[in-house]
Amino acid sequence: MPDGTQALMDARTGSPARPIAHAEVEVLIIGTGFSGIGLATMLRRSGRHSFLMLERAWSIGGTWRDNTYPGAACDIQSHLYSYSFRPNPEWSHLYATQAEILAYLQQISDEEELAPHIVFGAEVLEANWDDERRRWIVKTDSGEYVAKALVSAAGHLSDPTLPDIPGLDRFGGKLFHSARWDSSHRWEQQRVGVIGTGASAIQIVPELAKSAAQVTVFQRTAPYIVPRKEYEYSKAEQRMFARLPGTAQAIRDDLFWDNEARFPQRRGVPAFIDQITKVSLAHLEAQVADPDLRERLTPHYAIGCKRILISNDYYPALCQANVELNTDGIERITPGAVETRTGREIDLDLLVVATGFEATDLPIAHRIVGRDNHLLSDHWSDGGRAFACTTVTRFPNFFVMLGPNTGLGAGSMIYMVETQIAYICEAIDYLLERDADIEPDPEAEEEYVESIHARSVGSVWLSGGCHSWYVHPGSGRLTALWPDFMSQFRAENGHFNPEHYLVSVANT
Amino acid sequence: MPLPAVQEGVAKAGDTEVHYYDSSRDLGAGLDERDPSIGLPNPPVVLLHGTGGSAENSFWALYPMLAMRHRVVAFDFVDPSDVNQTGTLEEYVAQAVAVIDTVRDGGPCHVVGYSFGAEIASALAAQRSDLVAALVLIAGWSTTDAHQLMRNSIWQQLYDEQSAALAEFMVFTGYSHRFILAKTPAELKELISSVRNGPDRSAKMRFNRTVAIADLLSQITAPTLVIGCTEDIMAPVRHSRVIFGGIDNARYAEVIAGHGVVHERPAELFTLIDTFLKDPEATPASHQFGATHA
Repeated sequence: MPDGTQALMDARTGSPARPIAHAEVEVLIIGTGFSGIGLATMLRRSGRHSFLMLERAWSIGGTWRDNTYPGAACDIQSHLYSYSFRPNPEWSHLYATQAEILAYLQQISDEEELAPHIVFGAEVLEANWDDERRRWIVKTDSGEYVAKALVSAAGHLSDPTLPDIPGLDRFGGKLFHSARWDSSHRWEQQRVGVIGTGASAIQIVPELAKSAAQVTVFQRTAPYIVPRKEYEYSKAEQRMFARLPGTAQAIRDDLFWDNEARFPQRRGVPAFIDQITKVSLAHLEAQVADPDLRERLTPHYAIGCKRILISNDYYPALCQANVELNTDGIERITPGAVETRTGREIDLDLLVVATGFEATDLPIAHRIVGRDNHLLSDHWSDGGRAFACTTVTRFPNFFVMLGPNTGLGAGSMIYMVETQIAYICEAIDYLLERDADIEPDPEAEEEYVESIHARSVGSVWLSGGCHSWYVHPGSGRLTALWPDFMSQFRAENGHFNPEHYLVSVANT
Repeated sequence: MPLPAVQEGVAKAGDTEVHYYDSSRDLGAGLDERDPSIGLPNPPVVLLHGTGGSAENSFWALYPMLAMRHRVVAFDFVDPSDVNQTGTLEEYVAQAVAVIDTVRDGGPCHVVGYSFGAEIASALAAQRSDLVAALVLIAGWSTTDAHQLMRNSIWQQLYDEQSAALAEFMVFTGYSHRFILAKTPAELKELISSVRNGPDRSAKMRFNRTVAIADLLSQITAPTLVIGCTEDIMAPVRHSRVIFGGIDNARYAEVIAGHGVVHERPAELFTLIDTFLKDPEATPASHQFGATHA
C-alpha cells in the first residue's frame, strides 16, 4: 500500500477528520454512486487497495443520495437494479424506493470497507495529465491528489439543469429542483407548481397532490406511460432468496431477458412498437376519462423516442380536483406566479423544477485535461465520444463510467456499470503491471464511434419525432444511449484488449 | 411479417406455393458492413416455424432481432389441402428446400428450426448437407414419446369436441410457470384469446405424433447448436439432450423457458443464435454454452 493511502487512512481514524491535503495512489475515482462504489468494491476484492474516491458531497450514493423527493423510486426492478456480486435477498418490492436503494449502497460501502478510501467534501476542480510525471494531478477543494489512473464515475444525471425561463431567478416563493429537494419545506395546503413531466415529475406529482391545496403541472411534451407492476416480496420469499440464492438469480435472469427483449422497440420494429404503444394508450384510456385531458396527455411522437415512464398513480393524480395539467406554455415567471403564454397568472407558494439534468455537456468534462492541454469538453464538443464507451484518445489512463453511449432505453444501468468495472479493472491491471500509459488509438476511437452512429440510424431516438437529451443538440448524434442490446455491450466491452491502444512504457 | 423493407416472395415446391419473407440486407442499419467476412456474403438465416401455424406466430420477435445482424428469411409451411390428410416429412422438407434454393446466394444457408420446424430442419440437414452452412435446433425432439402422445391425445380430444378449454390447455402446456405468473390477469386472458384465434394446427399435430428421425441425426454434418428448454413440457428438455448426443458436430445450450421459448426468451435465443452463427466452429463439437447471468 503506498504511503499516501496509509497516511490518509490514519488521518481518517477519529472524527471528524479532514483528509490530508496530498496523497498519491494508484487509482483515483471521482464519485461514489453506483459506478464508483461498484468499481471500488471490485478493486478492493482483487487485492488492489491503493485507491481513493473523491466525493464532493458528505455522503455516498450519487443520484440515489441526491434525489430524495417524495415518491422517488427506481423504474427498473430491484433484483436486476443491483450488483450481481452483491445480491440482496431483502428487496421489499419488485421496484425499490430511493431510500431502500441508498441503504443498499451504504451497506455495501460499510461491508466492503470502502469508507477509508473515500474523501468526502472533495469536489474536483481540475484534473491534469502530467506527461513528465506520467500521473494524473487532481486538484480538489480539499487538496491535491495524484494517481496513475483516473476514473470519472461522476455520472450523467448528477448536475441539475434549470429551464431557461425569464424571471425564474426572481420567483419570491419557495423554489427548488427535484434533485435538491428541501425536506424541511411543508407543502400541505400550499399552491404548488411543477415544471416538467419526466421521470421525476410523474413520481412527485401524486405525492404533492395528496395534501397540497392546488397542484399545477406545466407540461411541454406528454410522456408515454405504461402500468407499473406492483409486487411485494413476502418474508418467506425473502428468506427463500437468502437460503436458495439460485431462486433470486432466476428472477434476475428473467428480468434481464425481459428488458433485453424490449430493445427492438427502440429500433422501431413495428410489431414491438405497436404492442407497447397499445399498452401505453390503453393505460391512459383506462385511467383518464375526460376526453380533453386525455387528448392533452396523448404523445405525438414514436414511443421510446423519449424515456417511457411507468406509473399507476400519475394519471389518477391529474384527474383530482386539486390538480391541473397546464399545456399553455410558460411565458415568464413573476415573483408570485407563473404566467402562461395565454396570459394567465397562476399564483404559487412553491415551484418545483423537475426538468432533469445536464446530460449532453457534462460539467466534469470541463475539468479534465489530457495530454497537450486537451480539454475533455473540447474533445466532446460534438457530443461525447469514447472508445469502447470508456476510454478517450489523448487522455492516458483515463476511464469514464456511464459516459458516452452507455445509457439505456430498456434495461438496467447496473449491467452497464458492471461491464465497465470488468473492463477498467483489467485495463488498470495491465497498465500498473507494466508501468505503462495507455490511450486508445485515434483511429480505433473513430471507428468505434462510427459503428455506434451506424447502429443508431433509424432508431426511434433519431427518427421518432421528438427532442430529447439522448441526442446531442449540435451534431444531432445519439450520444447518451447505447443503441444495441445490453448483451452486445458486454460482448464488445466486457474485456480490455490492448490491441486497440497506444501503449507507452517509461524509459528505464 | 410486418417489417420494414421485408420482401415477400413465393417459392415453388412442385405444385405447392410457399410464401417467404426476406429481410434483405439493408434492414440491419449498416451492421453487415461491420462483418469482417470477405468474398461471399454471410449466409442468409432461414427460419423454420413451429406447430403454431406461421412464420409470424413463431418468429414475430426473433425475426426482427436477427434481422439487425443478418439477412433473415422465414416462410409459412403449407399443409395438405385435404384437411384429413397428414403432411409427410418429405413434403415439408421439399418446401424448405424450395425456399432455400430461391433465396441463397450460391452458397448454403444457416437453418434455424423451432419445434416442428426443428424436425424438418434436422431431416433437411441430414439429407441435403450441401444446403446447410450451420444448423440451430430449438426445442426439438427426435422420436415422439408416450408423454408427448398423451398430451397430443388430450389436445386432439379437446379439438374434436371444440372445447372452450382448448386454448387454455395450450397456454398451460406451452409456457413456463414463471412466464404465466409474470402476466397480469388481463394479459393472460389476452394470451389465451390469441391462441384461441390462432391458425389451425391440427395437420401438424397429427404429424407430430409420428416423428421418428433418430436415425437421421448421425447423418448431420453441419456445425449444429441444439437449444433445449428446461421448463418445456411439450418437448421436454431430455429430447434436446438426446439430439445433442445424436449429432456428431453439435454444441448445446439450455434456456430456462417453456416450449414457447420464442415468446418467453426471444432475446436470449437471439443472443445464443447470433453468437453461434458469427463463427459456428468457434467452439468445438460437444461444447456446452453456460447460462448467461446478468
